[in-house]
Amino acid sequence: MLFVLFQLGQDRYALEARRVVEVLPLLALKRLPASPRGVAGVFVYRGQPVPALDLCELTLGRPAREQLSTRILLVQHRQTAGPSQLIGLVAERVTGTLRREEKDFVPAGHVRPERQASPASAPYVAGMKRAATPFLGPILIDDQGVIQLLDAQGLLDAGAHQLLLTQSVEVSDAPH
Amino acid sequence: MEPHARANPTVITDFSVTPHDDQPAEVSDCWNQIGVSGNQTCRELSRHIHCQNCPVYSAAAVQLLDRPLSAEDRRAWTEHYAHEKPLGAPAKTSALLFRLDGEWLALPTTAFQEITERRVVHSLPHRRLAIVLGLVNVRGELLICASLARLLGLEFRPPAKPVRAVFDRLLVADWNGERFAFPVDEVHGVHRFHQSDLRKPPATIARSGLNCARGVFPWRNFAVGFLDADAVFAALNRNLA
Repeated sequence: MLFVLFQLGQDRYALEARRVVEVLPLLALKRLPASPRGVAGVFVYRGQPVPALDLCELTLGRPAREQLSTRILLVQHRQTAGPSQLIGLVAERVTGTLRREEKDFVPAGHVRPERQASPASAPYVAGMKRAATPFLGPILIDDQGVIQLLDAQGLLDAGAHQLLLTQSVEVSDAPH
Repeated sequence: MEPHARANPTVITDFSVTPHDDQPAEVSDCWNQIGVSGNQTCRELSRHIHCQNCPVYSAAAVQLLDRPLSAEDRRAWTEHYAHEKPLGAPAKTSALLFRLDGEWLALPTTAFQEITERRVVHSLPHRRLAIVLGLVNVRGELLICASLARLLGLEFRPPAKPVRAVFDRLLVADWNGERFAFPVDEVHGVHRFHQSDLRKPPATIARSGLNCARGVFPWRNFAVGFLDADAVFAALNRNLA
């Protein structure tokens, strides 16, 4: 199984390559005013607007560095209702891939979040201060340390929820 | 830079040469000093064979990518990805390209069963018409070996200088259950093209008198004659009688 490796700050993460449609360079993002934390903006991909989430912003609270190695992982989000949607994930040091079995990733340990929202939605909260990280999965240990698997579906379920919230605000502003 | 010996072969990219967050470290080009482009004294070379396989080399590449992204680059990429990707319609027609002397021809891929080496042809007595060359043994089955060139009436020039034919093959065709073999001088392989690329056949094929050519399509610098399999095998059957 192939994984795309990236970094958020100094921490290494992996994302299943089969979920990635394309790896794009860091494109110019149109900011969405008053958008929730983590929503980096919107870019145009092949003629269609695609929202982008900044994974650094989501996990570290600071935007991703503007470097050549900072890239946009374009992933397809399968929604439970409605058509699937493209979403860009901005991550740092998207420079490598890793071929490993899925079973090589072991659970990071069940850290009980301070404010338990739902145990099922946040099974692994390793090394994260926030409880609201349902997108962090099991970890892999190699000779350079720890790689944590990013659950794109879990992230997008949470992230898309935020995006949808902003959209519903826009809809409610429309004239009746 | 001292290459380190703890590389995991499954890790393509090595992050061990990680610079500080703010200032990228200077890239040391050990591959130009002791590596393949240098005096090749690096002891890691015996293990990695080429610097391309060395984690130090890939880590240096990662370091280069840690340079700041220029506004000009970002603008250019944004414009590039905003536009629709030009995609050609998928080519639907699949044909096997082969050469008879100087002429590149093609037949539908579905007409063929096998491409095999040229082998001994057992001639048949009392065959004046030279279209049937004889019988060949393909996987234990005797097949009629026919000359497609003669069937199509392609005239062969004697080769200017004797060339050792190393590309010649025997094509095994199956059309509606009837199997034939015919030798060709070279096989390119399967080529896909659009039906709209087919043009009217030129005189070289049209003059053969057989209405075998469906058209020609461009391939490299050649105009390839795309043959009608039905017409070819019908003509072949008529000549067997």
